[in-house]
Amino acid sequence: MNDVIERIGKLLTSRFGVPAAEFSAEAVLSDLDLDSLALVEFGLVAETEFGVKISEDEVSPTDTITELATLIASKVA
Amino acid sequence: MSWSGFDVAVTGIGMVTPAGVGTEASWANILRGVPAAAPDPVLAGLPVDFSCRVPGFDAEVTLGPKVTWRTDRYTHLALAAAREAVGDAGLDPATWDGARVGVVIGNALGGTSTFEAQHDVLRREGAERVSPMLIPMMGISMVAGYLAIDLAATGPNLVTVTACASGATAIGTARELLRCGKCDVVLAGGTEASITPLIVSTFAKMGALSRRCADAARASRPFDVDRDGFVPAEGAAILVLERAADARARRAVVRARITGFGASADAHHATMPDPSGAGVQQAIAMALADAGVGPGEVDHVNAHGTATPLNDVTEARVLRRMLGDRPAVTSVKGVTGHSLGGAGAIEAACTVLAVQHSVVPPTANLDRQDPEIDIDVVAGAPRAMPISTAISNSFGFGGQNAVLVVSAA
Repeated sequence: MNDVIERIGKLLTSRFGVPAAEFSAEAVLSDLDLDSLALVEFGLVAETEFGVKISEDEVSPTDTITELATLIASKVA
Repeated sequence: MSWSGFDVAVTGIGMVTPAGVGTEASWANILRGVPAAAPDPVLAGLPVDFSCRVPGFDAEVTLGPKVTWRTDRYTHLALAAAREAVGDAGLDPATWDGARVGVVIGNALGGTSTFEAQHDVLRREGAERVSPMLIPMMGISMVAGYLAIDLAATGPNLVTVTACASGATAIGTARELLRCGKCDVVLAGGTEASITPLIVSTFAKMGALSRRCADAARASRPFDVDRDGFVPAEGAAILVLERAADARARRAVVRARITGFGASADAHHATMPDPSGAGVQQAIAMALADAGVGPGEVDHVNAHGTATPLNDVTEARVLRRMLGDRPAVTSVKGVTGHSLGGAGAIEAACTVLAVQHSVVPPTANLDRQDPEIDIDVVAGAPRAMPISTAISNSFGFGGQNAVLVVSAA
């Protein structure tokens, strides 16, 4: 899990303009300025990074990083 | 009803141009007359492989990473220019009445680099891989929307599209919004960042571009006998405009005034200027009438001066016919190249600075003036001279003409 969270953190800081200081496992996606469009874009990037598909109805701006990581980890497994 | 002489103050300027990042750097290099054109790695291998890019602009540093990743470069340039302009005007978006602040930005082509990149994704990887950010990044309206978000400006918000006249049309339109009382402040200007392989290839195929690939710095040569086309450029400029009475009331520094605006259509040809110059003449006459000044009072002309064979001779004939040999004429495109929707605003900013500082920048690369061009073009060095009244010309494909009158504060 921690590995997935770390990789999400790297993607968000390098591709989605999230300052490293704002990133944490507890952070809510919308607080990182990740709106629904940004999350669709994240789905495309995550598909390349993790090899999994994330559909629009599986993730919400009100989710935390940990919830997003749990979703990705469940698909990778 | 006569509106003649309606007075709009320019209280702030922001410039992000091939001559430099920031108004001070841009103006200094435009006065020096050093051409910005250089070989462009993005265009390597194309028939025209050079351009005028903004040097040393890092959007992430200037705007922050959260804004940068979700906006196209044409918006980056405008955001940076707008922030500079608002600061220069001494205004604070945290305290202003945003409902009274309008945004009018000229742009010709939108986020073309985003568009081209995502088209490549569609062809290579399929529809499911296309970014959902494409429309909000490339849409021509988006730049004005992002400026509103960035600066809490909730008044009238629009983008003017009149090709290479877009930036001047925006400033003229902003003047109308102030005149009819729908805004107290308008951020008006233009932006473009369309130096992409597709756009440059088609301009080259049209025959509009200089082919002086082996000598890029000398390629943009307005009014010169050896000119052979324009040099593609990027850039933005934004002005803060207010009614002059309001500006005086808040004791703002007034750099100069926008006292007239004229617009017309050639109704002649899609891309070629009307050789009679009738449309251009009509726009200049409308602008001068709007300002309430006569053709004999124009001290300085910031010409459209693209360095295409047809534009320069046609424009010069109209200037000679209407204004005689009095005005000192320049084209800053010798330095900056031609930034399409950004050009009219960059040149309006230069005209304001020329009036404010009583100096006309030189036309770079004007070594031997075309004998067909019988006007007083400033070349070699800046010319110090008092300027009460100046005009800035901008003409677009489509035959759209826009002319601004700039008067001393």
